[in-house]
Amino acid sequence: MAPVGAPDGFLAGPRRAVPREVILMVAIIAVGTLFATQSEFFLTERNLVTVLRNSVDLAVICAGMTLIIIMGGIDVSVGGILAVSAIFIGHSYKAGLPDEVVVPIGIGVATMLGALNGVIVAKARVPPIIATLGTMYVFIAVLFLVIGGTWIHGLPDTLSFLIRGEFVGIPAGVFIIGCVYGCCWVLLRWQAWGRHLCAIGCDEGSARLVGINIDRVKIQAYALTGALAGIAAVLYVARLRNVEVNIGTNIALEAIAATVLGGADIRGGTGSLIGALMGVIFIKLVQNGLVLIGVSSLWETVVIGGLLIIVLTLDALETRRSGRPT
Amino acid sequence: MNERRLRDPLRRRLLYLLGLWAACLITSSLISPHFLQPSTLPFLLQYVPILGLLGLGQTLVMLAGGPGIDLSVGASLSLSGLAMAWLFSLGVDIYIACLAGIVLGALLGSVNGILITVLGIPSLMATLATMFGFGGLALALTGGTPIGGIPDSFAWLGQGRTLSIPNHFWVLFVPIAIMLHVLLAHTAIGSHIYAAGNDERAAYLLGVKVRRLRFGLYALNGVLAAIGAAMMLSWFQAARPDAGRGMELLSVTIAVLGGTHIFGGLGRVSGTVVAIMIVATLQVGLQLANISHAWQLGVIGTLLVGSVVLDNLGTLKRLRAG
Repeated sequence: MAPVGAPDGFLAGPRRAVPREVILMVAIIAVGTLFATQSEFFLTERNLVTVLRNSVDLAVICAGMTLIIIMGGIDVSVGGILAVSAIFIGHSYKAGLPDEVVVPIGIGVATMLGALNGVIVAKARVPPIIATLGTMYVFIAVLFLVIGGTWIHGLPDTLSFLIRGEFVGIPAGVFIIGCVYGCCWVLLRWQAWGRHLCAIGCDEGSARLVGINIDRVKIQAYALTGALAGIAAVLYVARLRNVEVNIGTNIALEAIAATVLGGADIRGGTGSLIGALMGVIFIKLVQNGLVLIGVSSLWETVVIGGLLIIVLTLDALETRRSGRPT
Repeated sequence: MNERRLRDPLRRRLLYLLGLWAACLITSSLISPHFLQPSTLPFLLQYVPILGLLGLGQTLVMLAGGPGIDLSVGASLSLSGLAMAWLFSLGVDIYIACLAGIVLGALLGSVNGILITVLGIPSLMATLATMFGFGGLALALTGGTPIGGIPDSFAWLGQGRTLSIPNHFWVLFVPIAIMLHVLLAHTAIGSHIYAAGNDERAAYLLGVKVRRLRFGLYALNGVLAAIGAAMMLSWFQAARPDAGRGMELLSVTIAVLGGTHIFGGLGRVSGTVVAIMIVATLQVGLQLANISHAWQLGVIGTLLVGSVVLDNLGTLKRLRAG
């Protein structure tokens, strides 16, 4: 899928000579081949399913991050939302509530927190990076205050089918990712709302002049990202069955990295859901492969940073060659 | 005259920050009997210079516009500190090692500068990428273990005190803060920085070399981070690969709290310095009162968002008043 915004021509967006998805596919195949030649365990079904299970929560968060970045915003507080939502889920379980109540509580809380971000950004006109940085501190503070240095552990495993389950031989994670990305794709491509999102990302002033209710779209987009972080929290609890203090610390920056790897422009207006998903897969494959071939996992951030620099540089060179002002 | 001075948004901001700091001091002394002791002062000022240099660097980068931000300062601090300790362990004199570390800091800053000003990558993404890169290198090259063995003779900078104020506060922080203030307020370069931050096109047409200026500021930011690393090296007598973790966001917080506009063109050294003191007072006050670290994060986050909201309200009011 080409990046949203590019194919119709009326929305500005870099027309890349080589689509970002192709670059990412080459990168994934390259690291995959490298790891496969170094470790016979890498290409086994069991390992790949493990990678998939570990990447579901990041993938879900990335879908929301893509929408936000297309809108020209950013949300560094998703890790905090995930953490607070996970606490609510954990304590609800401890209070003996059933799944049917716990899951809506978790997602509902996360949606409210996301909407709070949206209100601060849209109504109080705080730049999104500052607004979400501030709320991230507050959310992390809530996490520390509630959890106080101990883990919530021993949560029931009634939800683990979301991670470990299979349907006609396909892991459940595929369906979850498919559902989330499918819904976001429909929103983005087939709904006026998605067009409004792109329009705001391209030129907020013009979007306002043509009558788009910018504040409402922004609040809805941040709330949706919050809801997705809530789903990620449910998946996190389902996978690990505990809530620990450092939950969600790196996930926001990883999500931004994956989204930008996938072709989103941080200046807004351009982004690709498929690309973001491939970015997630690349990051998780590198994390997994480095461990398998016996290289310290500490190198993983170097690889992610290096690839980010490469794709950003390629983009910059191409923009310059095609003569668009920077 | 006096009325016009009060209308200056930055002056009002400074007064408001000073009031906030006074409130922090009063609250801290109320909640903890240990706070109003002479021994608190060096404790309070111990951490200020390191965070302070990063906050000042961030202020400069933001002021020049673009919009400018540098998320890689924490990683640059870790990496250049490790380089200093590693060179010393090879037998290089500690001061020469520090100098080499500062040169490395300038190089790391220049990498950001090239990505942002030459290639035109948005600063947020470029420095996020180098944050991953530099921070990852710091962890990977050392395997995550600190490099220690810094001699006691170098500890005078970070551990010694003169008039019960830490030496690195006197020797490095105060002169650098004054130099940066003079640079911003009384030199042509300072005016160019404000001009570039306010309207880069107009500044360019008037002959300001906007890209070169911003490149220089990113390099300067790397240097400031490396000087912070030298202070930390002297304080802990070891270099940790994760020494600067979290500092990038804290330095952005300080700069914005101090009144620097995130899109550039508005801000002063004085505001940033008071913001650093507020953050440090909060840290020490809550620590002495034995209140959870979490409250500190919560207060900082609320202050950060609240300060920008208040700014916006003030701007709206002025616009309505005509």
